[in-house]
Amino acid sequence: MRGRRRDLWWTVTVAGFLTVIAFLVYPLATVLVTSFSGEEKRFVLAANYERFFTHGYYYSSIINSLYLSALATLGALALGTSLAFAVTRYALPGKAFIRAAANLALLSPPFIGAYSWVVLFGRMGLVNRILGEFGWSLPTIYGWRGILLVFIVQYFPFVFLFVSAALRSVDQSIEDAALSLGSPPRRALTTAILPILAPSLTAGGLLVFMGTMADFGTPMIIGEGLRTLPTLMYGEFMNELGGNPAMASTLGSLLILVNTSALLAQRYYAFRKAYNVVCIQPLRVKRTSGGRRLALTVFAYAVVGVALIPALTIIVSSFMPTRGPVMYAGFSLQSYETIFFRIPRAIANTFGLTAAAVVLDVFLGVLVAYLLARRRSRAHALLDSLIMLAYAIPGTVVGVGLIVVYNRPPVILTGTWVILLVSYFIRHLPYPVRSCTAMLQQIDIRVEEASVSLGVPPFRTFVKVTIPLMFPAIISGGALAWMTTIGELSSSILLYSGPWATMSVAIFTEVFSNHFGTASALASILILAAFVPLFLTYRVLGERSALGV
Amino acid sequence: MTRVQVQGIVKSFGDTLAIEGVSLDVRPGELFTLVGPSGCGKTTLLRIIAGLLDQDTGSVIFNEDRMDDVPPYLRNIGVVFQSYAIFPHLTVAENIAYGLKARRVPADRIAAKVAEVGRLVQLEGLLDRMPSQLSGGQQQRVVLARALVIEPRLLLMDEPLSNLDAKLRVQIRSLIRAVQRELQITSIYVTHDQEEALAISDTIAVMDRGRVLQVGKPWELYLRPANRFVADFIGTMNVFHGRADEIRVDGDLRTFVTSFGEQWRVPAAGAPQKPGSATAVGVRPESLGFERRANAEEAWNSFTGTVAEAAYLGAVVRYQVQVADGPSVTAEIHNPDFASIRAVGDRVTLWFSASRVVLLPEQPGEA
Repeated sequence: MRGRRRDLWWTVTVAGFLTVIAFLVYPLATVLVTSFSGEEKRFVLAANYERFFTHGYYYSSIINSLYLSALATLGALALGTSLAFAVTRYALPGKAFIRAAANLALLSPPFIGAYSWVVLFGRMGLVNRILGEFGWSLPTIYGWRGILLVFIVQYFPFVFLFVSAALRSVDQSIEDAALSLGSPPRRALTTAILPILAPSLTAGGLLVFMGTMADFGTPMIIGEGLRTLPTLMYGEFMNELGGNPAMASTLGSLLILVNTSALLAQRYYAFRKAYNVVCIQPLRVKRTSGGRRLALTVFAYAVVGVALIPALTIIVSSFMPTRGPVMYAGFSLQSYETIFFRIPRAIANTFGLTAAAVVLDVFLGVLVAYLLARRRSRAHALLDSLIMLAYAIPGTVVGVGLIVVYNRPPVILTGTWVILLVSYFIRHLPYPVRSCTAMLQQIDIRVEEASVSLGVPPFRTFVKVTIPLMFPAIISGGALAWMTTIGELSSSILLYSGPWATMSVAIFTEVFSNHFGTASALASILILAAFVPLFLTYRVLGERSALGV
Repeated sequence: MTRVQVQGIVKSFGDTLAIEGVSLDVRPGELFTLVGPSGCGKTTLLRIIAGLLDQDTGSVIFNEDRMDDVPPYLRNIGVVFQSYAIFPHLTVAENIAYGLKARRVPADRIAAKVAEVGRLVQLEGLLDRMPSQLSGGQQQRVVLARALVIEPRLLLMDEPLSNLDAKLRVQIRSLIRAVQRELQITSIYVTHDQEEALAISDTIAVMDRGRVLQVGKPWELYLRPANRFVADFIGTMNVFHGRADEIRVDGDLRTFVTSFGEQWRVPAAGAPQKPGSATAVGVRPESLGFERRANAEEAWNSFTGTVAEAAYLGAVVRYQVQVADGPSVTAEIHNPDFASIRAVGDRVTLWFSASRVVLLPEQPGEA
């Protein structure tokens, strides 16, 4: 029996390791090694790093990146936590709408959000042109202020979702105890409730920090030449005068260093601060009235209103007649006609590649999750960490790594669709792995043993009992992978070639060639495509769907 | 009916030895209970018999068949788990039919057998429900039916009652016993509750720290515990330390001198210690009384102490009596009348028959 069982799961273990090593570990290791290589083929230790830290052109990028990400993290934490408290603790009208709106705000990729702000407040933007007729003007949306705005608006919903979930698991007795021991409400909040939320707060903050550090599209579209690590890395690698892979790898290595440090710091902190909270009675919802209630309501609706602006702007503008970047009042399907005639291929590419990647993610994710949850060993813990590495590594770095490794024999993948699929697959594998592992920890292993003892061999038990019980996690993990894959830009922009451009790449190039109508039409389709599985997941699973993995 | 032999089973997890060489012989058709404190290895042993765990050494034999290389899904065993392990995505009927489908039983026979077993465990009318609509007791009956319907060679039950409230526990316990008797299916039952073990079993094995300390009928374990652990685990036992005196044979009796200086006569059988060696004897709380019963045939012992606590429970009064320079002794006076009520602080003399004394060697396991 043992031998047979070991064979199957042994194969999965080996397949898991081979996949992660071939498509993630080896490319990243190559990036690290390349960052130490010299231009004249001799090995100059840290010459690229020396050059990086002595030239303002280079080192300004890491300063900009750290500065923007730090501010964006603080801003998103403040906004997301405030909204979570307002919605969870106070009786406000239309709570379900506020929660749904926060979820919807996550659907559009950040670079599309950046583009929407340009549509509204850019030089040819709708708002600026209306104001211009009265002789007014707004401060420029371009540059670091614009990036910061986009980052905060795009990423605060993560904090909101994390903190809301955590708040729901705090028992009222905790606050009551603090109050009865003589703490006034504000002190009870800071000394009793916030410390319990610390793991969720830092997890949300980490997500914002790593996401904004890795964000390539936003600074490209709205930064007007402001150099951040990912944009400079892209520039160095794709330079038309001949790329500089060594310097690009140096920038990539610094990105890896910053993000993995942040990840490890948060894991270490959250591990030490993780409390087992038993929630029998959730926190009371406070009734308020008059000015306080009005202020809270206005605040909550203003925040989600701003968060929904990008998606609304995109969808509305996609139906407006346009010439170049200028949009006119009216209704027209001109933009959709253009994309269906000019770039149908990009749409097909995106849907095909995303679907294939999600199927692969779910397939391998389910098997690997079973290994991690049920046959935990040191090797599996390592596999777990390696897969989770994909969370922390920016798409630009994965893209460069894959190109450097797979544009030379023995395996050449550059120029094909396979390399895009590989990147999508490996980068979003953590979603189903996480959701399924969490689910398996809730499923009593005795249920599987009962099936085996009733005469059903282990693998058939896995198919007949375990997989049906994991179904909610499979669906929500797959939906998350789909949502995050479909608008992926940062590695696609490096990896695509010729006919294999995706919708995200097409939007990006349309924006840069000032074809705002077609960009909006494509972006609308992307947002819809991300929305449908999310909507279906909620319909099928209801409360069981866990978006905050 | 299946005879189960367990021979020299050893199992370790990493550095910890969970089972240190256990051998058992379970007679065909009996209900055999493994009882012991948590961590004693009883569940581990059950899982090894089920094939869900592999032993390091030793063998499990059903009748003449050595099961060591037989995977769990081919052993044809019904297992009832503490956590029910009900299939939450299947209806009650589908849960019960699960093992029959795996055996490719025709659909009409499955329906008939499910109905039959459903009747046996009193689940009529609930067969179309989902498990989430059932109470704990009903879920436990589904799991029992699911294990029984495959007509297993052996039924294994791992603390099947521990998630139920006290009243249901007694109800399901009698149901299990009745069904087991009716089907005459060899069963191994694991529990940490000695009362449950006494009530349900044909034979009990008491386990502690990976070893079997004593195997016997319920009354054998209660009346003749082999050592102090069994004496204390099965029921309550007052232990008196002292020494065996010069052998002065008086019928089957010898002399024992307690640590507080009383001379008692105790059974001589089964305790061949050297005169003067330290030993201990045990007396059950219900064997103690305030008077010496006028039965001249028996030898009677006594000691004196002060009532430290008294709990009047109606059918019984439980006293805690402190012996000067000696132990605190529990005494239970059953069916008490006015004359047998004592107050805290009263000095009392407690009597007991020599035949009710149990010899408890110093080393556990040394009978």
